Amino acid sequence: MSAVTAPAMDRPPPPPPMTVGTLGWLRQNLFSSWVNSLVTVVLAVVVGWAVIGLISWVIVTADWLVITSRVQLYLVGLYPQVDAWRPQVAVLLISALLGVSWRSWGGTARGFAVGLSAVAVIVGVIPHGLQPLNRILVLAIPVAVGVGYFLAAGFFAGRPRRIVGAAFLAVFVGLLIIRGIEGVPGLEPVNTNDVGGLLLNLLLALFGIAASMPIGIALALGRQSNLPVVKWACVAFIEIIRGVPLITLLFMSRHILPLTFPENIKIDTLYITGITIMLFSSAYMAENVRGGMAAVAPGQTEAARALGLRGWQTTLLITLPQGLRNIIPAIVGQFISLFKDTSLVFIIGMLDLVEMGRVTIQSNLEFVDNGREVYLFIAVVFWIFCFSMSYVSRRIERALGVGKR
Amino acid sequence: MAETSQTNGPIDMPEDKAAILELPLEQRDDIIVCEGVHKWFGDFCAVRDVSMRVKRGEVVVIFGPSGSGKSTFIRMINRLEEHQQGRIVVDGIEMTNDVRNLDAIRREVGMVFQQFNLFPHMTAINNIMLAPQRVRHLPREEAQKSAQQLLERVGIPEQADKYPAELSGGQQQRVAIARALAMQPQIMLFDEPTSALDPEMIKEVLDVMRELAASGMTMLCVTHEMGFAREVADRMAFFDEGALVELGPPTQIFNNPQEERTQLFLDQIL
Repeated sequence: MSAVTAPAMDRPPPPPPMTVGTLGWLRQNLFSSWVNSLVTVVLAVVVGWAVIGLISWVIVTADWLVITSRVQLYLVGLYPQVDAWRPQVAVLLISALLGVSWRSWGGTARGFAVGLSAVAVIVGVIPHGLQPLNRILVLAIPVAVGVGYFLAAGFFAGRPRRIVGAAFLAVFVGLLIIRGIEGVPGLEPVNTNDVGGLLLNLLLALFGIAASMPIGIALALGRQSNLPVVKWACVAFIEIIRGVPLITLLFMSRHILPLTFPENIKIDTLYITGITIMLFSSAYMAENVRGGMAAVAPGQTEAARALGLRGWQTTLLITLPQGLRNIIPAIVGQFISLFKDTSLVFIIGMLDLVEMGRVTIQSNLEFVDNGREVYLFIAVVFWIFCFSMSYVSRRIERALGVGKR
Repeated sequence: MAETSQTNGPIDMPEDKAAILELPLEQRDDIIVCEGVHKWFGDFCAVRDVSMRVKRGEVVVIFGPSGSGKSTFIRMINRLEEHQQGRIVVDGIEMTNDVRNLDAIRREVGMVFQQFNLFPHMTAINNIMLAPQRVRHLPREEAQKSAQQLLERVGIPEQADKYPAELSGGQQQRVAIARALAMQPQIMLFDEPTSALDPEMIKEVLDVMRELAASGMTMLCVTHEMGFAREVADRMAFFDEGALVELGPPTQIFNNPQEERTQLFLDQIL
């Protein structure tokens, strides 16, 4: 007996055959019984047929002229042709940041940087109606990534604060270039009503995402305040905003709010809409944050109090960081949903990506049958952005999982 | 008020803490004074009419059945629970709603919890450095140095940069003790510090507590580690149904309990 058991103690016995490896996986997940095997085969045929059909449609049948001849409309709307280099410069700034991230954190950022550069090179060399300047700026994207990568080796090396500062600066400068600066030749402010297409979706989402974090946290903390006025003001704001559909808020901000302004003051629709989306998103964020903080174990607060930390220190140093980490999936979910919700601004006459597609089909006789191409293109664009956010969030979660309880 | 000044002791005590600890227990000053302390949760009277005086440097082990008010009692000593009747004086500072008093008392009193309650988003050493930096406003280098010394004192200097989730229960509890000690408290409260630990880890925590007791720390320990109590405690307090039933040295509690309820409880757990 002992002669048999002794080697077994040295090396654990191998698992039963056909439970591990590719074959084991197939057997367990797809062919575990004859019913499952049948279902697997039937579904494989159906899915395969659908995929082959879709691919052949995309390559053979579809007429992509409706996209390629109007790329600028989809991307930046009615933003003036002569100024189209400005959003492109903003993209270069983002590309450089991506290069910095690649060098500093690798992994995920590298994937995005390489993917973006590859797309840029392909778009840059395909011969189509791209102006020379715009073509150069597209081809400059991989260069910007490279510049960021090498800056990260020197100026940013081991200095995360500088990177964060540079990121804020880049976003600010990018927005300024897109909007324009009074009195600077070549950077004349554009009419904000001309901003459309994907740029409009991205700008509105950026407003909403950037503002909803701080405002949402402030509202969540305010809701727990001991001061009744603060508390009830926050509760009223959150509940009123959450109780009204976004479309209604957009209508109200566009058509009712201006009635309350003095006649000579006219605020751009873009800004009013941006603020509306900010407030809408903040109210939801506030409830997310509150939920996340409520899930922090009460022992944490007790330990902090026993150490002599004050109430605000306990909140800022103990409960808030843990609460925010609890809700990363919820936050990103909200950002994704916010980004998609920005397409609702068509309701007040703004030409976002989806609306631009609809208008293109309906106002051009030659494209009247190209709805499928347009909406597939729009779906893919939205999906790329949303999936990227979702993917990054999962990576962040995993990275922060180190300190989990 | 006349009585307060009497219990305030330090006035006619030697200034030096080490010198006080040279004195026999009965000649030292009372660092904790509780008189007629009551606490209710709703209608339920969790602590009723508890009076107790603890000498500087004394180790008191508090035990009793669950729900007997022992945890609530020690949590009132740093005001995690508010007492509703009676008075509590800690190192001459009366426990009131005055924030300054409360801050002063919390600086004097460290606490260790059953569930450790380490901050999971900070490394072990950052857990220890937090309060010295934020409450005592020590410069970072100084806080770091003393935190590292404390980790050595509790026997895990090599775990400084680990997160709580990467430590065993015993190691976490030792970090929690170091974290409380970092504020240089006069008094340490232990609320069932070993109850959540696997048996093989209890000893390493009790060893740290033994060392702490030997160094002259005033300690109130809620625990059922009777071996530890017999060896380390100066006095033991038996709580039942919110009341302090019996208070005396371990020899009395173990060999000659004065109350029948004490005897019954000890018969059950020993």
